[in-house]
Amino acid sequence: MAAPTTSPRMQLGPLDAATSVAMALLRALASLVRLALRTPAGRIGLPLVVLHVVLALFGQALAPYPPTEFHIEEHQLEGPSLQFLLGTDQFGRDVLSRVMSGATSLISVAAAGALLGIVLGTVVGMSSGYKGGRTDEVVMRVMDALMSFPSLLIALLVLTSLGPNPINIAGTIGIVFIAPVARVMRSSTLAIKSLEFVDAARLRGEPNIYIIFREILPNTLPVLAVEASVRFSYSILLVASLGFLGLGVQPPSSDWGLMISESRIYIVVAPWVALAPGVAVASLVIGVNLLADGIKQARELPKREA
Amino acid sequence: MATTTTAVLETTIPADGAEQPLLKVDGLSVTFFTPTGAVHAVRDASFQIKRGEVVGLVGESGCGKSTMAYAIMGYLPGEPEVGGAVYLDGQDMAELGPAELRALRGNRIAMVYQDPALALNPTMKLGPQIEEVIREHLDLDAAQVTERATDLIESVGLPDPERIAQSYPHQLSGGQQQRIVIAMALACDPDLLLMDEPTTGLDVTTEATILDLVADLKGRVNAGILYVSHNLGVVARIADRVVVMYAGQTVEEAPVRDLFKDPRHPYTVGLLSCVPKPVVDTGAVTRLQSIQGSVFPSAQSDPGMCLFADRCPMATDRCTSEAPHPASVSDSHESRCFYPDDVSTDLWDESVEREAPHENGKEPTLTVKGLHRVYGKWQRKYLFFGPKVKPPVRAVENVDFEVGAGRTVGIVGESGSGKSTVARSIVGLVPRDRGDLELRGEDLPAEADERNPDQKASLRMVFQNPTSSLNPKLPVRHNILRPLQKFTDMTASEREERACELLESVGLDASYMDRQPLQLSGGQQQRVALAAAFAGDPELIVADEPVSALDVSVQAQVLNLLEDHQREKGTSYVFISHDLGVVRYVSDEIVVLYAGHVAESGPAGDVLSTPSHPYTEALLSAAPVPDPDAIPTPIRLGGSVPKQHEQFKGCFFASRCPRKIGNICDNTPPPVQTSPGSPTHEVHCHIPLEELARLQSSPVASNA
Repeated sequence: MAAPTTSPRMQLGPLDAATSVAMALLRALASLVRLALRTPAGRIGLPLVVLHVVLALFGQALAPYPPTEFHIEEHQLEGPSLQFLLGTDQFGRDVLSRVMSGATSLISVAAAGALLGIVLGTVVGMSSGYKGGRTDEVVMRVMDALMSFPSLLIALLVLTSLGPNPINIAGTIGIVFIAPVARVMRSSTLAIKSLEFVDAARLRGEPNIYIIFREILPNTLPVLAVEASVRFSYSILLVASLGFLGLGVQPPSSDWGLMISESRIYIVVAPWVALAPGVAVASLVIGVNLLADGIKQARELPKREA
Repeated sequence: MATTTTAVLETTIPADGAEQPLLKVDGLSVTFFTPTGAVHAVRDASFQIKRGEVVGLVGESGCGKSTMAYAIMGYLPGEPEVGGAVYLDGQDMAELGPAELRALRGNRIAMVYQDPALALNPTMKLGPQIEEVIREHLDLDAAQVTERATDLIESVGLPDPERIAQSYPHQLSGGQQQRIVIAMALACDPDLLLMDEPTTGLDVTTEATILDLVADLKGRVNAGILYVSHNLGVVARIADRVVVMYAGQTVEEAPVRDLFKDPRHPYTVGLLSCVPKPVVDTGAVTRLQSIQGSVFPSAQSDPGMCLFADRCPMATDRCTSEAPHPASVSDSHESRCFYPDDVSTDLWDESVEREAPHENGKEPTLTVKGLHRVYGKWQRKYLFFGPKVKPPVRAVENVDFEVGAGRTVGIVGESGSGKSTVARSIVGLVPRDRGDLELRGEDLPAEADERNPDQKASLRMVFQNPTSSLNPKLPVRHNILRPLQKFTDMTASEREERACELLESVGLDASYMDRQPLQLSGGQQQRVALAAAFAGDPELIVADEPVSALDVSVQAQVLNLLEDHQREKGTSYVFISHDLGVVRYVSDEIVVLYAGHVAESGPAGDVLSTPSHPYTEALLSAAPVPDPDAIPTPIRLGGSVPKQHEQFKGCFFASRCPRKIGNICDNTPPPVQTSPGSPTHEVHCHIPLEELARLQSSPVASNA
């Protein structure tokens, strides 16, 4: 008999199940990158997203000036020059440095919010879809009610009462995103739960949690990946909008939404101050969307069977 | 190619046209280019069809049969590379422009597709759908178009054409839908009719009536028919000549009788020996054969050898170093083999005799008593009020049978007869409403979730479609280790070892443990599913159509594995299938279900021989036999299994029974009759058994 190969994937305790889900996610990520590079949309989107991720991680360190350093006397609202590549704002702060260091707070809050929404939405949607019947009916009607409020409105409501800080913002976005994510995950669960391997798992006596997260979840990863990217880009827009409305990160720290808001009175004399963070937000959102589109298209490339 | 074309065009000039084949496929090859590489769907195919002739095209899946049909239509997806030529009445199809091709399709070449539900537009009434085809190709005025549509509906044997024309596709049964598709194909009197597995999705009883229609068309319309099928029985019944395809090549071509009686290619012989033979008595039978390995992959380019050599029992060095070409064996019989004269019908037959039927176990493993299950609830006439008028759908009513230890009970019936509901009630996926299930005399809870681990381990299920019964995202090891972990107290390394043993017992080695299910062929997937079912040493395995989704060449592997396992471990099976040949091959006892009722049950030999229930008789009569000399059997069932909204006042089968004797059938439930010779053989019918035996032993029916 051939020596049995032992792999970390074979013992399937609850903890190992978690690691194997993580492994599956990593493998899915690698294959998504490969997929993304197969289409033009993905080839544009991926570098844009990577650029922003680098900015988020190292932006502050790479910036030529500290983002809050004032050059009020000599360089107020100065146009782009060699010294200040993107010009300066009303306090003579370097716009480039502020844009570069603003990425961190925006992307991390947006990502945390989107992630929270994805996780909660997936749990709610998949459980509801798998359970079916009256439970499903009630849960989905609650989700419909949640969806009927504009997300910015809910966010404003929560943040004005709880106060704007990064944790509250991320939490609010997470709650707002439960409903749309749950809807998508429920429908893909419904399709998969009718397949026979789910029956086979039931006949083995697997608990529902195992069936949902070990048997069904891996099969929804393609849908989940697209949904995650869509949620991420919405989340960025929400965080930027909240910043613009003054409910994001508080001054003087650099936040793209806040920067646009503060500079809009000077837009006629110094358009670069508003333009730079605007372009930053736009390119991030476009990048994420292109990447998602690219992955989706690559997935649908013709795969004909003989 | 251009020179050939002109040559052929010149030869068309003789006015008699007798020499001119309607369709000539000459060295056709089709290569698709996909992101993962080239796919050689058709490699080298040559054959001809004359007017008024039915040519059967057979082969396993992946042999390029359907691609061939689409290539003849000039309707291939993407931008494939097409080599060779297709001539219609001497006209090279490759020379036609898109507009000419469009005019040709539907007008001179028509196609009948496999799934009528997909071929018809669900939002359009059937009359206008047929009229659309007529208007597109023929220059008729509105009244004539409607009249022609009505005539067409009538000509395919549908009653009340005006009513049908006003119906939507979903209001018809599958068989009726397929008749409409055929009517649409006939709309413009085509010269060539391509039928791509037109009966594959249909019940045997419906299939038989569609085949009768095709046979009837052959005499009526002056068209050549290409009938693509994987089912040799079907081809034997209707084809004049048969073309066998393997890995994109035509490997044998012969008149139907020659092909079945005197095949000259080892692949043809292999296909023929894979089909369970009709067995009338229960005497010793030889084991079913299978063709080992799988079809030469279409992703591989031509290796300059016989593509069948890897699977051929008589392959020599020459076969692996040189590519054979089709050669005449005799008049009108061609074979692509170097040694056509050495091919004999017992090439694959090792004639391993099956062991004698198992002794009847003293205590039944499973007892099913009065099983009852309905779907849905009584519905009111109006949404929330009014009398309760619409009864629930009755899936299974009063089904009783026993499964002895180490024995196999086969359940047969058309779709809608409640077979799957019985299977799913036994394992607990569909909880029963009433009735008793006992496992070794111990009551089984209705729901799978309520059963104890021991009961779960003892009762396992094998599903129809192996592709969906194995989780596509989890490796093979998961499917086998998980039941071991659930059902045994082995340590991790013991489980690993046992899993390898299980894989080996189904003919796969340990290297398959880390494969993903989608990398395996259908037969391999089903064997993994078997290994998973065997884990935990079950006492009873419920197999719901376990070979229906598989090619005939690998069916035998699965059936033989089941049989070996039974002999070794004494496992009992409940084996569900619509295919009488397969059920007859595996079963010790047979239960014939109709509309959720048992029509007949008893030892396999007794059920399948006379006297039998008229429904069993009709099923037997409809089952296609791979023998062109089989005498056509006259009994046909019209319609389909009733949707069971109505309560059966009398006999459940009365509405379709070909032997109905009168009012008693409509008003009184049938009594249970037992044959004097075999006390366990029960027939639910009003007609006395002696009378049934007399009716069924008339010379025409005796061959059934």
